[in-house]
Amino acid sequence: MRWSRSLRFRLLAGAAVWIALALTLAGGILSDLFREHVQTRFAAELTTHLDQLAAALETGADGAPALPRPLSDPRFRRPLSGLYWQVEDGGRPVLRSRSLWDVTLALPPDALADGEIHRHRIAGPDGQSLLALERMVFLPDAAEPVRIAVAGDEAETAAARASFDRTLALSLAVLGVALIGAVLVQVAVGLRPLARLRRELAAIRAGQRRRLSGDVPEEVRPLAEDLNAVLDHGEEVVARARVQAGNLAHALKTDLAVLANDARDPASGGGERIVRRLERMTRAIDHHMARARAAAAHGVPGVRTEVTPVIERLVRTLSRLHAGRVLAFAVDCAPGLVFAGERQDLEEMLGNLLDNACKWADTRVRVTVAPDPAAGLVVTVEDDGPGLAPGQRAAVLAPGVRLDEAVPGSGLGLAVVTDVAGLYGGTLALEDSALGGLKATVRLPAAD
Amino acid sequence: MRVLVVEDDPDLSAQLVRRLEREGYAVDHAADGEDGGFLGSTEPYDAVILDLGLPRVDGLTVLRGWRREGVSVPVLILTARGHWHDKVEGIDAGADDYLAKPFSPEELLARVRALIRRAKGFASAEIACGPVVLDTRSARVTVAGREVELTGYEFRVLSYLMHRKGQVVSRTELTEHVYAQDFDRDSNTIEVFVGRLRRKLGTDIIRTVRGQGYRCEDP
Repeated sequence: MRWSRSLRFRLLAGAAVWIALALTLAGGILSDLFREHVQTRFAAELTTHLDQLAAALETGADGAPALPRPLSDPRFRRPLSGLYWQVEDGGRPVLRSRSLWDVTLALPPDALADGEIHRHRIAGPDGQSLLALERMVFLPDAAEPVRIAVAGDEAETAAARASFDRTLALSLAVLGVALIGAVLVQVAVGLRPLARLRRELAAIRAGQRRRLSGDVPEEVRPLAEDLNAVLDHGEEVVARARVQAGNLAHALKTDLAVLANDARDPASGGGERIVRRLERMTRAIDHHMARARAAAAHGVPGVRTEVTPVIERLVRTLSRLHAGRVLAFAVDCAPGLVFAGERQDLEEMLGNLLDNACKWADTRVRVTVAPDPAAGLVVTVEDDGPGLAPGQRAAVLAPGVRLDEAVPGSGLGLAVVTDVAGLYGGTLALEDSALGGLKATVRLPAAD
Repeated sequence: MRVLVVEDDPDLSAQLVRRLEREGYAVDHAADGEDGGFLGSTEPYDAVILDLGLPRVDGLTVLRGWRREGVSVPVLILTARGHWHDKVEGIDAGADDYLAKPFSPEELLARVRALIRRAKGFASAEIACGPVVLDTRSARVTVAGREVELTGYEFRVLSYLMHRKGQVVSRTELTEHVYAQDFDRDSNTIEVFVGRLRRKLGTDIIRTVRGQGYRCEDP
């Protein structure tokens, strides 16, 4: 679903759901409160009329109840106005308001104690639904109390309620729309830093900017800082690659000049010189390629390589490559040991060391990997071959004076090992092995 | 011995083919992975020299295809990708040896010879059959210490028979391993070569097995 991936959509949808719920609930409560209020008022009004009626009622000359002057509300005189009164004596209606015209209020049979007011919902003239309030009144000189009642049309309250509900719904709808609008503005304002981040990234891609500006909200700052770190690293890798390419070109051009001269002058008899130069060029390429790769990989945080599988693969490969000979490999490596770097770099170092050992070994090659508190990882590769005199070791390991003049001259692949180990801050040392041949020890730093 | 060279660079492949032929091999050449894969699957080679960066199908895919089909010919990978990472991958794909470019032709020839020898089950560089000794390193044949001059085809026939010492080799098989693919083959000429070899060696180490072919054995 594409929409659910939009931050804007998520925020808006969430807000809309909450606003709708809150407004509906508020509307319901307000409408209920209003209805209750209207009904209370209506009943209070009817009670007032009832009290008025009770006060105005007298005993007539014939001993029957009489109303010497009409009640003040004009609606009692207007026929079918919706407001009525009635007096019953001994269960028969004896007096009625003019508004009732020729109808009597059908009060349900009821027994009322003195002073009680009862409410009934009854049908009125014209089929109206009436709220009737009744009580018993003792008239002066009368033996029995008379039953008086006042009734009002509920349609009045219904109309007021409907009008109120309409107004309420309209106002709440307007409020809802206004709130959604406010949320829209808020989301737009809140997301603006992200949009700016995107524009800045586009500008970086277009080459108009170099880094993201630090002027971002606190929540987005880690993201911007991480992106800047990635950009830094990329730039550094490119810069290193450029240096390596330059070094390689420098290393090859001299050789190319010699080759070109020999090629143009067949009489120079440079056959052997050409072969020598070609070997030099090959070694230069190996050397600089290894450096370039290791330089690019170096500094990538969190890269880990387990050592045991690498050694196992290399031993399998070397057994095949030296299939014509009987070689016994002894590997001593605790499982779970890790090298803080790229797998290919570890393979390059151990591959060269093991290949040397295989070339020179009589029958035995031993690999030992151990953790070292100071150095992180110590790898030794030994063989039972002729070994190397101490004087030769220095020549084999001699580091280049300068980067672009570091000519790898051993032909043993040890220069590459030194290079790669050096880039990880490690070292390569050569000693005599207890097996009788050469013992090469690589110390590699722990993960930082 | 018949060798397949799968290499797309025209200069390098021409050099390789010329050099291998001079050393007495029958050589087929394929310039891309598709042709090379097909030839390797259908023709009986004694060794394959395989480049990795090939047009159409890359070398490792070709090699894996052969091994899946059960083609067990010894394969030497010849490539510019010289990192140990690549070597491990190549060997895991089923290669028997790995040589990084640039290389010296002598090194390549030595490795091809060693591959073929190992594949036929010989540990030593010299194969002896009675007084006849075949030095696979120098591609020379001596009888009781005296060198014998052989033509290219004579050498191929003798070399194949001696590599298969003690086993019967049919004329068809011999033809397939002596001639390159695009050669007009005639199994009758094999008889001519065997006849000449018997005369030149002066000793009868090549026996005719009636109706089946030839067998090289101690006299």
